[in-house]
Amino acid sequence: MVTHVPAPGGFEVPLWRAVAVFRVASLAYVCVVVLRDADRYAHPLVAGALVLVMAAWTAVTAVGYAAPARRGWPLLLADLGVVVALLLVTPWVMGRPALAAGLPTLTVAWLGGPVLAWAVSGGRRRGAVAALVLGATDLATRGMATPSAINGAILMLLAGVVVGHVARLTVTAGERLQRAVELEAATRERERLARDIHDSVLQVLALVQRRGARLDGEAGELARLAGEQEAALRALISGAGPLPAGTADAPVDLRALLGRYSSATVSLSAPATPVPLPPMTARELAAAAGAALDNVARHGGGRAWVLVEDEGSAVTVSIRDEGPGFTPERLAEAAAQGRLGVAQAIRGRLADLGGTARISATPGSGTEVELTVPRREP
Amino acid sequence: MSGVRVMVVDDHPMWREGVARDLAEAGHQVVASCGEGRQAIRVVAAARPDVVVLDLQLPDVSGVEVIRGLLAARPEVRVLMLSASGEQQGVLDAVKAGATGYLLKSAALAEFLDAVRRTAAGEPVFTPGLAGLVLGEYRRLAAVRERAPAGTEDPAPRLTERETEVLRLVAKGMSYKQIAERLGLSHRTVQNHVQNTLGKLQLHNRVELTRYAIERGLDG
Repeated sequence: MVTHVPAPGGFEVPLWRAVAVFRVASLAYVCVVVLRDADRYAHPLVAGALVLVMAAWTAVTAVGYAAPARRGWPLLLADLGVVVALLLVTPWVMGRPALAAGLPTLTVAWLGGPVLAWAVSGGRRRGAVAALVLGATDLATRGMATPSAINGAILMLLAGVVVGHVARLTVTAGERLQRAVELEAATRERERLARDIHDSVLQVLALVQRRGARLDGEAGELARLAGEQEAALRALISGAGPLPAGTADAPVDLRALLGRYSSATVSLSAPATPVPLPPMTARELAAAAGAALDNVARHGGGRAWVLVEDEGSAVTVSIRDEGPGFTPERLAEAAAQGRLGVAQAIRGRLADLGGTARISATPGSGTEVELTVPRREP
Repeated sequence: MSGVRVMVVDDHPMWREGVARDLAEAGHQVVASCGEGRQAIRVVAAARPDVVVLDLQLPDVSGVEVIRGLLAARPEVRVLMLSASGEQQGVLDAVKAGATGYLLKSAALAEFLDAVRRTAAGEPVFTPGLAGLVLGEYRRLAAVRERAPAGTEDPAPRLTERETEVLRLVAKGMSYKQIAERLGLSHRTVQNHVQNTLGKLQLHNRVELTRYAIERGLDG
């Protein structure tokens, strides 16, 4: 499946096309009105010339707004200026009697063009500003406020606001779509890589490690290294993947954060389903678990096991190792010297989260650190 | 104990040969080896293995389907799964479908041979990761139960306190021997507790499948 996503700024293209179509259509209406009313104007020939000016400007804007680079202030201001100028000469061209008789002004609905252009380029506020400028000019040049003139001005203001709003929505929706498509593409690529790695590299590394484990010396060492890489690679491809950008407050899967600690010596046990936690809580909890694992590595290393349990109302992470780790003597010694040991640091982190840390050493079955964080009801 | 009849199912020829050689060297009898799930289901009745060593990721059919097919063709066979990619939903599904053992492909040879021997003897072979998955599955079932309206029929299995305790210790990497010492139980009792946790899930899975079949009118 190929999804087409326009280049940045490309989401507005249909809107700019719609503005150009509006100008052409309203220009046709201008021609009809001028042909019908020309004999009642004070200067019919000038009116004809102005229609040509409008046609020329319609062409200029259609080409001008088509390219994103030209949609800046010069063209927007020129657009507004041309229409204001046309409005200013309208009373002279039509003559007071024609205006007083209630004939439509020369530009009729064509004067809405800049309002739509401003709205599409900058949203509701710009649309409203352009509509107010043109509405005020129109009412001022007529020299009188007929109900239809006021209606026209208000319609133009509403059009400016609504089109501006829709334009923003379209652009935002387009950008979201693009992000989603990018994320999907990244996920797909990741899954493809994971499959490839699984089918080839992992199998071979596991085999090298297994067959080499019986050999002594350098070959045995190579097998051990292969085993380490196998574990690292396995953790990498079984992780929950990168978190989507722009979702700072969305719950984070704790398993993904703990996944990076898993290695040849650290085994991670977790449920098959995600363990969602608020991002701050998840990060602090994972950091506390990491501190406990660092401590294992510092005190002789050896194997360690991490267990993640989701009990609904609370999440528990247990870290167990079979080394000396936190012996009661060591904890007491640290406390006596007034040092903030690793244990204290872990307890502090958990207390900040409203949770608890239980640290115990059982002779014969190693040291256990149990971190429990309550889940706040949403 | 020697002479376990083993069938090896793995789509990687290198692995298949390596595993078969290791088993033969340890005195076991490799009665068949194949690279495809469907082929394995076809030959299992004739080959009469005690244990099938099964790679969970086969190219033709899912691990769950292979396990169901193997058990349908030869109900007394025991399935020991191997996977290269770690504990995931697929492993849990395979256990619910009837596999009784699970090992990572990176496990040491001694660990693998021990697992084959124990699987043949009917013992469950758990990695800490698998214990974590099974614990998570029971917790998921409990959460579903809590959300269900009061009075609805509740066929979902639950763990006893002792079973939960044992499973947690397995998930934290303790051996059955260590667990027996810690809890003051016999090795055999610990093993039974672990076996029960699997048995209840597998039974529940079969009940669910049957119920699904009846609901869809597929039981005739």
